[in-house]
Amino acid sequence: MNKIRLGLIGLGYIGKIHLRNCLKLDFATLIAVSDISKKALNLAKKMGIKEVYNDYKMLLKDDSIDAVIIALPNHLHLPCAKEAAEAGKHILLEKPLATNVTEGKEIISTAKKNNIKLMVGYPFRFSPSFKALKDKIENGEIGEVQIAYATDVGSGPIFHRAERDIPRPVPEWWFKKELTGGGALIDLGSHMINLTRWYFGEVNKIKAYLGYKFDFNFEDHAICFANFTSGTTAIINVGWFSQETVLEIELFGTVAHAHAHHSAPSKIVTAIQLILKQIPKFYLPHFAEVSHFVQCIKSDTPPSPSGEDGLRDLETIEQAYKNRTYVD
Amino acid sequence: MSSTSFVKVDRKTHNQLRQAIVKSLNLIQYRLPSELGNVVIKPNMCYYWDHSTGLTTDPEFVSALIDVLRNQISQDLNISIVESDASAMKCKHSFKLLGYERMAEKCDVRLVNLSEDKGEKVEVWINKQCFSFILPQTVRNADLRINVPKIKYATHTKISCALKNIFGCNPNPAKFKYHSILDETIVALNKIMKFDLHILDGIIVAGTRPHRLGLVMTSQDPVALDAAVAKLTGINPKSIRHITLAHKERLGNISFIPKGDSPKIFGNRFPRKKLKDKVLSSAYRLAIWTGLLDAEML
Repeated sequence: MNKIRLGLIGLGYIGKIHLRNCLKLDFATLIAVSDISKKALNLAKKMGIKEVYNDYKMLLKDDSIDAVIIALPNHLHLPCAKEAAEAGKHILLEKPLATNVTEGKEIISTAKKNNIKLMVGYPFRFSPSFKALKDKIENGEIGEVQIAYATDVGSGPIFHRAERDIPRPVPEWWFKKELTGGGALIDLGSHMINLTRWYFGEVNKIKAYLGYKFDFNFEDHAICFANFTSGTTAIINVGWFSQETVLEIELFGTVAHAHAHHSAPSKIVTAIQLILKQIPKFYLPHFAEVSHFVQCIKSDTPPSPSGEDGLRDLETIEQAYKNRTYVD
Repeated sequence: MSSTSFVKVDRKTHNQLRQAIVKSLNLIQYRLPSELGNVVIKPNMCYYWDHSTGLTTDPEFVSALIDVLRNQISQDLNISIVESDASAMKCKHSFKLLGYERMAEKCDVRLVNLSEDKGEKVEVWINKQCFSFILPQTVRNADLRINVPKIKYATHTKISCALKNIFGCNPNPAKFKYHSILDETIVALNKIMKFDLHILDGIIVAGTRPHRLGLVMTSQDPVALDAAVAKLTGINPKSIRHITLAHKERLGNISFIPKGDSPKIFGNRFPRKKLKDKVLSSAYRLAIWTGLLDAEML
């Protein structure tokens, strides 16, 4: 099989990371991108992408494209993924799968009906430190994990574009709960719920304490208590309120204690790597994720995390929202 | 020379903030007018950063100031908190995110987005160049205008404090358009909208990192206040163009008479930029400017 021909839909924050990473893939070529921003399309052109569209429907009409990466706002996941599946494209869809379970199920059934591969973008599953933790659990080095702490706290979508020198406007959809499906819990919680489910299996019961520091109608921080079928209890902390990014998991087992974190990006190291056209360390898992997706298409194997995985995460998040209490 | 007061605040309680504001006013011998109708307060809102970062004025500080005004002037004062939309900040979000909506409800004050306010076109000459802006009605009709800035290092202007905060009264949301003529624009806006009082919320300052400085500074002269702040941050005020230009345009005096606590106490504790910080920030700016770096990826 020749190189996989990729299309990238959406050139926002995460889309631009995919854009850079896709240019470094060995077994795939990024041939087309789409975005509504002219500025973003110009950037892609400058990086050597010849086919640029301001409407993803045009990109999907290109029969030579084998697969697409969808990095659009949450509420557009359903229409775009459905159209992509119906056009016969394999899909790497950014998390969360959709804004709710009903939409998520529709995406999965359309993908199945059209016999395409559907992978959900959870890059931290490809982080070496979180993978090493998975190995330790499976090797029995930690014993039976009784308590887990999973934390993903950072500046969130409202702040992360605020480079002090060059502030970027926050896209308005982030402020609308009906378009995002929720707040920090669905945004960052989906990462942590996916990782803990990968470690401990399915969630029996989950409760959430939701916090509203910024007075919006969506939570900016959440603390979840999740009981897993394995007997593990995980405390999942997520928040959009801090200038510092913390992404870590700590496990307390019957044998030992283990800890893993995905280091926050160092500005100076990231800058040097970007200038040298290297992939910054923080974004290496994103590169591994796309590489895995491409590999699965080439070898005709199911990708992981799958669409079903993303759906289980959404179901867990919906359960957490249902069993919510508010932080005073 | 203009008097500029320095007052140390040990704990950030409502009472302590009120007392510090009153003390800082007394030190410069400022007496609030006994009869007033409309008061405008301009805090510093920068993007959506929480006040704990030192980048935005603490609504608790503004609430203490409102108490002082109502106690010393009248309970019936009509107070407006003003800000305008910017390239990457919308007042509808910043008022909420930064705690101003909650504070406004508690203190019964109005929040005004100057970008949505009525106004009239006003022209002013700076350095033989004509500038025209919309003077918002709320600012124009105020009997007393109070500026409540923060201390920050700034890319284009070295520091951001009293003079720069008035840039946020320009109702035009496309503020990036002024970046190439920022010094002149700041001075022009200060000429159009003269504020009577400048009270610095230096409880937490940004510097190279957030730091609890516990400082309240007050002056009637924005140039003197900015010059004093520049010295605290380790920068010669005469090297800051908008300060010298404002001085030249007779908006105030670079020399100041310190009143109250010693400025040295605060200068020694201010998280100043070191050579390494200066080199790094220049390198980032150069890399971004030349297109080598996309700031969003950092």
